[in-house]
Amino acid sequence: MRAAELFDLSAPRSAEGHLVETGEGSLLLVPDGSRVYDVDAETAAVLDRALRGAGDGEITELLRSLGLEAPRYVDDAPPMAPPVRALSLAVAQKCNLGCTYCYAQQGSFGGPAMQMPDETALAAVDLLFGDVAGGERVNLAFLGGEPLLNRATIHAATERALALAAERDVTVGFSITTNGTQLTTDDADFFEAHGFAVTVSLDGVGAANDALRPFRSGRGSFETVLARVSPLLERQRRMQVSARVTVTPRNLELRTTLDEFVALGFHSVGFSPLLRSPTGSDEMEHPELEVMLGGMIDCGEEFERRLVAGERYPFANVVNALREIHRGTHRPYPCGAGAGYLGVSAEGELAACHRFVGDEEGALGDLAGGVDRARQARWLEDRHVHRQEPCRGCWARYMCGGGCHHEVIRRGRPACDYIRGWLHYCLGAYGRLLARRPDYFTGVPSA
Amino acid sequence: MRIDPANRTAQLQYRAAGNPPSTQPDSAISNCYPGLEFDFRNIWRRMFEGIEMHEADNYVLKGIGEYQRLERHRLLLVADAPTVVALSGPQTPGGPSGPLTSQGNPDGVWTMEWSNAMAAVLRDKAGKTVTGHFTKDPSQKPAGIPTDSSGKPDLSKLLAVELNVRPLFGSSAETGEPLAVIDQERVQPGELTQSLCSPWQNDYRECACYYWAASRPDYVNVEVAATGTSAGNSWLAIHREPKQYVLDDRNDTRLVSYEDLFQDWQGRLKFIVGGDDHD
Repeated sequence: MRAAELFDLSAPRSAEGHLVETGEGSLLLVPDGSRVYDVDAETAAVLDRALRGAGDGEITELLRSLGLEAPRYVDDAPPMAPPVRALSLAVAQKCNLGCTYCYAQQGSFGGPAMQMPDETALAAVDLLFGDVAGGERVNLAFLGGEPLLNRATIHAATERALALAAERDVTVGFSITTNGTQLTTDDADFFEAHGFAVTVSLDGVGAANDALRPFRSGRGSFETVLARVSPLLERQRRMQVSARVTVTPRNLELRTTLDEFVALGFHSVGFSPLLRSPTGSDEMEHPELEVMLGGMIDCGEEFERRLVAGERYPFANVVNALREIHRGTHRPYPCGAGAGYLGVSAEGELAACHRFVGDEEGALGDLAGGVDRARQARWLEDRHVHRQEPCRGCWARYMCGGGCHHEVIRRGRPACDYIRGWLHYCLGAYGRLLARRPDYFTGVPSA
Repeated sequence: MRIDPANRTAQLQYRAAGNPPSTQPDSAISNCYPGLEFDFRNIWRRMFEGIEMHEADNYVLKGIGEYQRLERHRLLLVADAPTVVALSGPQTPGGPSGPLTSQGNPDGVWTMEWSNAMAAVLRDKAGKTVTGHFTKDPSQKPAGIPTDSSGKPDLSKLLAVELNVRPLFGSSAETGEPLAVIDQERVQPGELTQSLCSPWQNDYRECACYYWAASRPDYVNVEVAATGTSAGNSWLAIHREPKQYVLDDRNDTRLVSYEDLFQDWQGRLKFIVGGDDHD
């Protein structure tokens, strides 16, 4: 299926329903509750006519007559003072790479290079465990900049978190996002011992990566990263080492990248389009997003082939999408940013997420004073997808959540067609795989 | 027209053909006591293979095969999780707080509601074996968990039995895939609705906690004196004079009986408006 065709098929017609032909039949998505129904041809025809021509009120009435009415799953009310359950620490606001598109502006977020002192990191961990009850789960993430430029603080924070987790009978998950250039075998041991989710930023194979992710000197980083990440790939049992690819107009070879990285042994590989960079360079526009969507579908179709053949093919985007579709995940936000998840700057300021470090727009208090609940309440009210346009009329609103807050606030929503096209494809894949590999959905696959 | 729920949220919202809206869990007026639509307590009766519990108690009604010896015993601990909790409070108004023991409840315990008490056992142990600790002897009365000198459960005074925990949800016979339906081994057809409240009949009189069925008066025609004391009638009082609150012991002939209500509720009950009788 071509990307342009998907743009058309997935165009927003009704906020109350969306129909997808899967090749195995038709699926109806009812956005409220992200409910997915398998419908016969006769029902599909009735729905298709209505979705093309009728108003939302008539469609609601049609759904009611089909027995699909349900109490509203998502209301207008933002969560009130949600407890902090995940923090990311900008342990080093500096970086040894010079990626031009970086939201952190080469790690320092437009300010002076900084390291997070141990006491700040420990205070952040204390905040994370402040009101957690036994049996709950929290997540501690290390980001930057390049976090491994401040390894000692990562160790100190991890140890504090482990001690508090044991004391309070809490499960703690650790993650780190790194450029990979500083990884050592000792890191491999440490991450393995504590079951880290390690995400390595890599934008392609060889020259494709190097053009986007050079050292400050201009030299390419790919070979260095490959050499340094290999011991982790070999050692991963408890830890999971994944590759994250930021897609720009200069690295649109998704399938090649995915196949190479899977062959290297990454636990999973995920793609994300660059929608906003501080300088505006390398941002994706509609024509490139169309190319990218084509590449994503190519990868997705290979995933489907491999899955039916019983082979592992860890294309993270489709694995995550299928898991969420099967669960019926529905949410009025794209992520937990500013709610249960906050970013912590090297100076101990709290931000809506790791991208809003040092940015007044997403400032939500500091470690000394705690979460600024008044600002947080405003943030959650403003960011609710029911307050977003054109989201309110879009069938994908509770799957997408309105798009990354940082990208939307700084640039807008240039990628709606891409997101809808991708979700439309994933719904089709869900229908096909439900028929061809029902056992894949036995239990809900974990991340 | 065919519409099959495909994903989890659609399955959970599924309403079988012919079922009224009230069969949806989100429309239920239920709690740990029987509800109007279904009595959820019944899902716990066959939580363990081989034994059948009372739906509201830790009392073993029936045992099959080797488990027959457990009949009339009480299950006190499951994988170390207690099924009872000690009661404490004042025995008399304003009195000191202490164990709430009585002749009928000599250990002063209350059976916990299993949807909470057994939730972790179900989550962690479904399909697995756990150790259950029962009273050593049959126990008609509620029984507490014996403790040692340090206050910990004294397991030597209990009967330890290995129990297999049934999963809550059934699975497909064809694919083994878990289904969004309650396992028939746990609840057989009809059981979820066999012990419902009958709020407009028996329970209209029965429920004395002013909650269920809630929308009826209790103390009516009340006159409050300047000293703060009051005089009034029980809503069930046959005669409104003298104005006194007759405590309901289920036998007092000054009150409307169950039979009276079943046979002539419309003749026996009065309209109460603003707390007072109205014709």
